[in-house]
Amino acid sequence: MAAIKLKNIIKSFGDTAVVKGIDLNIEDGEFVVLVGPSGCGKSTTLRMIAGLEQATSGDIIIGDRVVNDVEPQHRNIAMVFQNYALYPHKSVKENIIFALRRLKVDNEEIERRLTEVSEMLQLEALLDRKPADLSGGQRQRVAMGRAIIREADLFLFDEPLSNLDSKLRSHMRTEIGKIHNKFGRTSVYVTHDQVEAMTLADKVVVLHDGYIAQAGTPMEVYLNPANVFVAQFIGSPSMNIIEGTLFNDYLQVDNYRLPRKQLSNVALQTVIDQQGIPVKVGIRPDFFNDSRLFPETDNTFKFTRLQIDLIEPMGFDKEILFNLAEGAVKARLDLRSELQRDQQIDLVVELSRVLLFDNETDQRL
Amino acid sequence: MLGKKTIKGRIGFAIAILLLVSFSLLPFAQILSTSLKHQYDWGNPSLIPQSINLDAYKELLGLTEAEKVEIPAAIQKILNNPKLSADKKQAIAAKYTANDNLFPFGKYMLNSVIFSVGAASFSLVFSVMGAYSISRLRFKGQVVIQRSILFVYMVGGVLLMVPLYQMAMNVGLASSLWGSAFCLFLIYIVQTLPVGMYMLGNYFRGIPFALEEAAMMDGCSRKEAIIKVVLPLSLPMLATVFIYCFIIGWNEYLFASVFLKQYPEFHTLPLALQELFVSKNAIWDRIMAASMLTLAPIVICFLFASRFMKGGKTDGGVKG
Repeated sequence: MAAIKLKNIIKSFGDTAVVKGIDLNIEDGEFVVLVGPSGCGKSTTLRMIAGLEQATSGDIIIGDRVVNDVEPQHRNIAMVFQNYALYPHKSVKENIIFALRRLKVDNEEIERRLTEVSEMLQLEALLDRKPADLSGGQRQRVAMGRAIIREADLFLFDEPLSNLDSKLRSHMRTEIGKIHNKFGRTSVYVTHDQVEAMTLADKVVVLHDGYIAQAGTPMEVYLNPANVFVAQFIGSPSMNIIEGTLFNDYLQVDNYRLPRKQLSNVALQTVIDQQGIPVKVGIRPDFFNDSRLFPETDNTFKFTRLQIDLIEPMGFDKEILFNLAEGAVKARLDLRSELQRDQQIDLVVELSRVLLFDNETDQRL
Repeated sequence: MLGKKTIKGRIGFAIAILLLVSFSLLPFAQILSTSLKHQYDWGNPSLIPQSINLDAYKELLGLTEAEKVEIPAAIQKILNNPKLSADKKQAIAAKYTANDNLFPFGKYMLNSVIFSVGAASFSLVFSVMGAYSISRLRFKGQVVIQRSILFVYMVGGVLLMVPLYQMAMNVGLASSLWGSAFCLFLIYIVQTLPVGMYMLGNYFRGIPFALEEAAMMDGCSRKEAIIKVVLPLSLPMLATVFIYCFIIGWNEYLFASVFLKQYPEFHTLPLALQELFVSKNAIWDRIMAASMLTLAPIVICFLFASRFMKGGKTDGGVKG
């Protein structure tokens, strides 16, 4: 068991800085998901925690030990690799117990743990096979088993599900969640899939271009994104960003005037001159509601007579596309709303769900 | 046209293969055939001996009983001279009783084995270390070293022979038996190392680095990761490199003829064969039997190694 502290971690490869200064505290037993698009430095950060890469500067502290110069084998960390990295010449059983054999754990204990792990991951029937004879999902389970059996201080997952098909992925995601609940080990999980991030994490850390864009609970980053990047990266479909202008009393979006008072936390000067301030307005597709089904209150605003350009039925949900302020905007409605293309519709939004971002810095206002 | 096999095509293909195989195998058949023929049969162009004669093999392998050599009467008289010291008597007697007209095949073979297996083993160990560092580690001059590895082969052995011998003379190695043997040993290693490194380097590059990282996460040091993961996965290539180095050493004549010329007790098989060809013992069946026995270890080596050369060892380790 161990807490992790990253203090101003920087990593450069030659002249290219990949991680540009990361400060992060991970509590003991916490499940932290590093999420971001490819090239944001999330895997590099994980590999630095593992010891497979050396940080150019900064400190990595695991437990109460600064591990900057500690070799990976002395960090007591178990890791699941994206491509599984099973030893092809060893059987499943040998793969799983490799680390224990090395540590000279006695045979009875090895057998006990092997039985426990293989039961949990349903690997009993596969123990004598070679990795080449396994399917992707089975290999993934073996890789998990190899990590779990160690009973290490810290679990690292480097995009462990990205090579699986979507059905297996969601199954394994649940399994990983269960395993974490059972053992409660500190875990750091890297993914580019925001669904995995949302479902597994105690804390989501969104990385962008070598920096932490935002860190918080899944709901925090979903409901209160710190900037346009986080807003659009977390949540599927991603948040609509619409051009608008903020005035003293209202927010102008296209022809609509949203009352300013009820908008959440707008930290702008109170007096705005006549031209107003151009801002980016963020509304999640999920927060649009069909006016026929959703009661209007003081805290809602109704966009009237929106022309539907496209309907994408998804089963229970449907996504509809319409134009607002010369941009395509998506809304997600459920199957109760019966709609036709080219029809006009009124949509209701809770004003507290309408977020404003600075036009230049993209930061939340 | 696509994959369609006509009977004509098949027959043509079979004949072509047969011709090619016979062309490469006929010399060996000739060697084997002649080594088994009696003297009266040598002129017979048939590859099948009229009757099998194993005397040459027996003789080479020391299976025949040593001939009793009579010491001539005149010499016996000298030996009977009481003034002669015991040492001298023995030395004189040895000249007449020794069976040195026989070809001490076993000894040459042992020499060859020591040189080629020894050099191949060292070469393999150094190849592994060199190949790993050029394929995995990042250091200054890595690319230059990597590209210049095969440079050794641009200069032929004949060109290097004289300067190498001169150098060995200058440092005083060529004047002693062990020094010469050491030089030859070194030359074999240097000659085989580049190809070994080249072949292994390419093979190592094909083994995903993630496997080593996984081993390191499992508690191995880098060295252990290499020994426990990389080397077992490289067995086919290790066997290939070993055999390559072994064969180079086994067949090498040029350098051996220079460095070992004055030390007949250290002669290797190619040297000994050459001497056999030009000696008074140059009898066809014996020459051919010796050639056959020289060939045998290489053939056995290949058969043995083919068990290790199953490909696809790294399958299933990583995905994508």
